[in-house]
This record gives sequence, C-alpha cells and structure tokens, in this order.
Amino acid sequence: MSLSGSNGWLILRHRFVAVPLALAIVTGAWNAYVAINDGGIIAGTVQDPAGRPIAGADVLFFERSMLNYVEERRTRTDAAGAWRFDGMAVHVGQVEAIAPNGQKSERRQLRLWFKAQNTEVTPLIVREYR
Amino acid sequence: MRKTPTWPRHAIMLVVCVLMLIPFYWVLKTSLTGENIYAYPPRIIPVDPHLFNYVDVWYMIPFPRYLLNSVIVTLMAVAGNLLFNTTAGYALTKNFPGRRWVVLLLLSCMLIPFQATIIPAYLITSWLGVLNTHLGMALPMLSTIICIFIFKASFEAVPRSLIDAARIDGLSEWRIVLRIMLPLSKPAVATNVILNAIWSWNAFMWPLITTRSAEMQTLPLGLARFLSVMENTTGALYAFVVLVLVPGLAIFLMAQKEFIRGLTAGATKG
Amino acid sequence: MAACFLLPALTIFFLYRILPLGWNLWLSFHAWSPLKPAQFIGLEHYEEMLLDDEVFWQALGNTLIFIGCSPLAIMAALAIALLVNSDLKGAAIYRTIVFLSYPLMTVAVGIIWRWLYDERSGFINWVLRSAGIINEPLKFLQSFDMALPSVIVADFWQVLGFYMIILLTGLQAIPQHLYEAARVDGVPARARFLHITLPLLRPSIFLCFVVGILNSFTSFDLVYVMTNGGPGHATELLITLIYKAGFGQTRFDYAAALTVVQFLLLVVLTWVANRAAGGNAGSRET
Repeated sequence: MSLSGSNGWLILRHRFVAVPLALAIVTGAWNAYVAINDGGIIAGTVQDPAGRPIAGADVLFFERSMLNYVEERRTRTDAAGAWRFDGMAVHVGQVEAIAPNGQKSERRQLRLWFKAQNTEVTPLIVREYR
Repeated sequence: MRKTPTWPRHAIMLVVCVLMLIPFYWVLKTSLTGENIYAYPPRIIPVDPHLFNYVDVWYMIPFPRYLLNSVIVTLMAVAGNLLFNTTAGYALTKNFPGRRWVVLLLLSCMLIPFQATIIPAYLITSWLGVLNTHLGMALPMLSTIICIFIFKASFEAVPRSLIDAARIDGLSEWRIVLRIMLPLSKPAVATNVILNAIWSWNAFMWPLITTRSAEMQTLPLGLARFLSVMENTTGALYAFVVLVLVPGLAIFLMAQKEFIRGLTAGATKG
Repeated sequence: MAACFLLPALTIFFLYRILPLGWNLWLSFHAWSPLKPAQFIGLEHYEEMLLDDEVFWQALGNTLIFIGCSPLAIMAALAIALLVNSDLKGAAIYRTIVFLSYPLMTVAVGIIWRWLYDERSGFINWVLRSAGIINEPLKFLQSFDMALPSVIVADFWQVLGFYMIILLTGLQAIPQHLYEAARVDGVPARARFLHITLPLLRPSIFLCFVVGILNSFTSFDLVYVMTNGGPGHATELLITLIYKAGFGQTRFDYAAALTVVQFLLLVVLTWVANRAAGGNAGSRET
C-alpha cells in the first residue's frame, strides 16, 4: 500500500501513520491520567476484626531504602477511623497500623503504578481489639 | 503427479519456531514473576505475576533519560541519512567526470567494517570536540553507503522526461530532488528510515566509546550498566530488557518489508 | 554542483572510514600517547603482539573458531530457507518468527542468553537436569571449555534469521524453468539440488560467509555483556582485545596495530572465500 496522492482520511489506514498515531494517543491518554491522579494522597481506614473503625490509631508509613523499609511518616486516624498521608512522592512502600491498645495490624505492601499516585488502601485490620 | 505431504515440513518449522521463541518467552516470564527468580526448579508459568517490576525499572534507573538520548541520536541519524543519502544518490545518477571513481570509492568503503576504525574515529571525534555529545554519537552514522545506492537505483528509475520537463520549468537541482524524485521513491525513503532507525537504536560500541558521563548514555549502554550495578532476585533486570526490546520490535514489525528489502539490497547484484 | 551534493556524505566516509584506515597503519608503526608526540618505532608493536602477547594468539584463535562455526549456521539457515521457500501455508509467519531475533539489540540478546545459561535457574540447565542428562548444573559461561561455544550459540540464534533472508532472496531468484526442465528430464531431487540450486546460490552463500566473518568482529556487544572476554580470555575476541587495549589501557598505538592485523585477517579471509566460491563473489557474470 503506497502513500500516494491526497487520499484524505484514507492515509490514516497506512501503518506508518496509524501505528505512531495510536502510540501517541495511548501515551497522551496515559500522561493525562497520571497528571490527574498524582496528588500524592494515600488514604485508608483502620478497623477491628468486626469491621468497626478505630479512632486514634497510629498509622506508620515505611519507605524503601537500600536494603529494607524504614519508617518515614506517621499519622493518626480521626474519629471515623480514617487516615491520610499527603505529598507522598513514592511508588512503593508499606503501611502498618497500631491501635491505641498497642495491637498491630499486618504490614501491608503498597505498589503503585506511578509516583504520587492517589491511592485508596483497603482497610487495615487490627488483629485483636476490644 | 504425487504430492509430497507437507506436514513433515510444518512439523520441523514448528520445532524451529518454538526454539527461536523460547528465549523471548523465558525473559518475558521472568520479568513478570512474583517469586525469587533463582528458585529451582523454575516454573514455566510465572508465579504471582505482576507488572510492578516495570514500574520499578522506570523509577530506579534513569530510563527516561536513556530513552531520550537514544531517541535524539536516532532522530539525528535518520535525518542526516535522509538528507545526505538523497543528495549523494541523486548526484550519482548524473554523468560527471570521475563518477566511476567515486562509485568505486564508495563500494570499497563498504568493505571497511566499523570495528576497524574505532581508534582513529575516537581520536577524530575528540579532536572535533564532540565527544560525549549527541552529535558525536550520531556522526559516523549520518550516512550509509548502502542507502546511497538504494536511492541511486530508485532515482534512476524516474523517467527522464519528468526531470527534463522540470529543468525546462527552471527548477533548481535541489527542488528537483524534493518535488519529483522523493515523492516517487517512497519505498526507498521508508527503507532508508527503517534501516537507519534500527541500526542507530541498537548501536552499542560507538556510544560506549564516545560517552563519558552517565547522563549521555543511550539505552544499550544503560542496559549494560544496569547489569553490573544490580542483580537482585526480582525480575527487574529482565523487565528492563523487555522495555528496551519492545520499541525495536514494534518498529521492526511495523516495517518488516522495508527492513528486509534494505538488507537484501546488497545481496542482489546487478 | 554534483560535488556539493556529494560532499557531506563523502566527508563522513573520509573522516570515519578512509582516514582511520591510514591513521591506524601510521599509528601502528609509532609509539604515541596523547601526552607525548609520536615516535617512529617500526615493527616493535607487531613484535610485541606476535612474540610476547599470549592473549593475542588466544584472541586470534577464538576469532578463527568463531568464523569457522559460521558454515554451520549457514547450512542450518539454508535448510530452513528451503523449507520455507515453497508455497507452504504460513511461510510468511515462519519467516517472521525466525527473523525476529535479528533486529534486536545485541546487548539485550546477550543478557537474554546469559539468563538462559544461568546455572541456578536457567532454562538450559533446567531442561538438561529434568531430562536426566546431567545431575549438576553446568556453568556454561564460567567454564574454560564451554564459554566460547555458548557465546557462539547465542550469536547463532541472532544471525540465523539474517542468513535465512539472504538465502531466501537467492533461492527466489533462481528461475523456475530450470527445475521444470530438470524434472521433465527425470533428474532426481537430490541432483537437482546439487547441480541447480547450490551453484546458483553461490553468491548468496558467499555473502553469508562474508557476513559471518564480519560477525566475529561485530560480536563485541555480545561478548562484552556475556563474559567480557572471560573466563580468563577464553572468549576474548580480537575486537574485545582492541577495545581493552585502546580504551582500557589507553594504548592507542598498540590497539591500532591490533586493528591492522584484524583488518588484514578480514581481507585475507574474504579473498580466500572469494577464490573458494569460484572468483567474482560467486556469480558467473564478469
């Protein structure tokens, strides 16, 4: 198939035009998605095994350094058991919750698709809580 | 007439194809797996597959920088080739005194492999002051002899009447090339672009010699550097390999015909 | 005017092809470093190379082994080309799959094969151990005997497609009526192959062989990534030696002498191949 003359829209069917165009569109769409969602907000809730929110629990955020994960940030859940970190410019990390009575949740590994991706983490369940 | 069965040939070709594709699959599988890649025995299907190795590669090494360098050098090489090869090919279609010698000279230059020139080429590039620059990396690749001959053959197929009419109309030589020759030589242009894009994209030894700082490195150099810096138990290195191979493969699959035509241009004598 | 059109291309070739050839030759007869002016020393570099440098002889041997294995690749490619040439259904797909390895970055090919040869969980060791052929994993790239063949196999994988394409082009250029006439005359298939196909394929086979010779020089990428000449120079090729001498030890003059020898080797081998192909690059016309 040759690029001859002025075929108007038909030129889009030629692979030398269609393929780069498709690639450009995909790249543009992805970049737009990233730009919209890169606020760096990582948020979630802390709950007990029954599903009730725990207020006043500490939530630790561990960032990856050379060999292991190191605690970098710490925040506290509000009355509704919700926690939130702002300005997180990372794409990988771990979160862990410590209830006011000292009970811990699992350490959840977080892997994001791009740096500072806004993420809603599924609830951290503290192991035993009364 | 008795027809020989074709299934033995299909069987052999299937075996050959599987053998040729195994390396691709194995590396892809390693880049996707979630387990320790050195665990024995290795699994055929990736365990716990995830794409986050690719995210890691993107951020942990300066992949965007390497990509940019590769793209810039390739664009320069392709642009330079288009410009210089068309003009040289066109000049060779005219009869001027000494033309035979020039053709002979070019043919004999084709016999000089790049590897036989690296030491002086490095010294020349250093003397020109373009060491460790994009231009320095692209410079030896700005023109290729085989592409000149491709253009020459393509231009010679243009009917003389068109050229004569254009001359009568008062078009300058450069305009003739641009307005008449090039539009009629689209296959040659495509072949030229693809050949040079792939050759320049894959070039390793020359960028290795001319770069001095880490931020000027192109993708192949980055790959070789990453190899020695980090070999961990995740498939990150192989995610890097896949990321590096995908553009080359995509360009090749898009332009197979032109690429093969360019490669065999030297094989068809006469 | 024609001159000015030719000038840019010719400048590039002069700077990066012709000038380097002469400069290499000149450098090889002088002692030169970037700090001192050049000093004519005649054949001292060559003496050092031929008499004192064992690594040179090993590299030369390895390069010759590398080149010597290319006929195997050419034969395999010929077999595949013959299979794929006829009007087999799906021949185009087969061709694409076999050729897929050629446009890849050689560095990536090196890393892929390095992983395949890995002794812990590499594919080849796994297959051999599962089939019960060996009990302990083989250290392909770390053993003195197996390192060079391993690198050659990796190169084989990449270059097979290229040979196949060249041979296919040659095969398709053979006029069909020759085969028809032979078939009508009752010539058996084997003789048809030996007396029609092979002689008319000579130019293509010659081209493949020249590419094979050049391949041993361009395999720098592969060796650099897979073994870097090791273990202990077992996979050292002339081209890696040149790189190490010129850019590792910064002995540009010695590296230039090595390059001259490498280029001479290339010229001699090509000339020998030309004679073996019947002169004239294998074709019949003058």
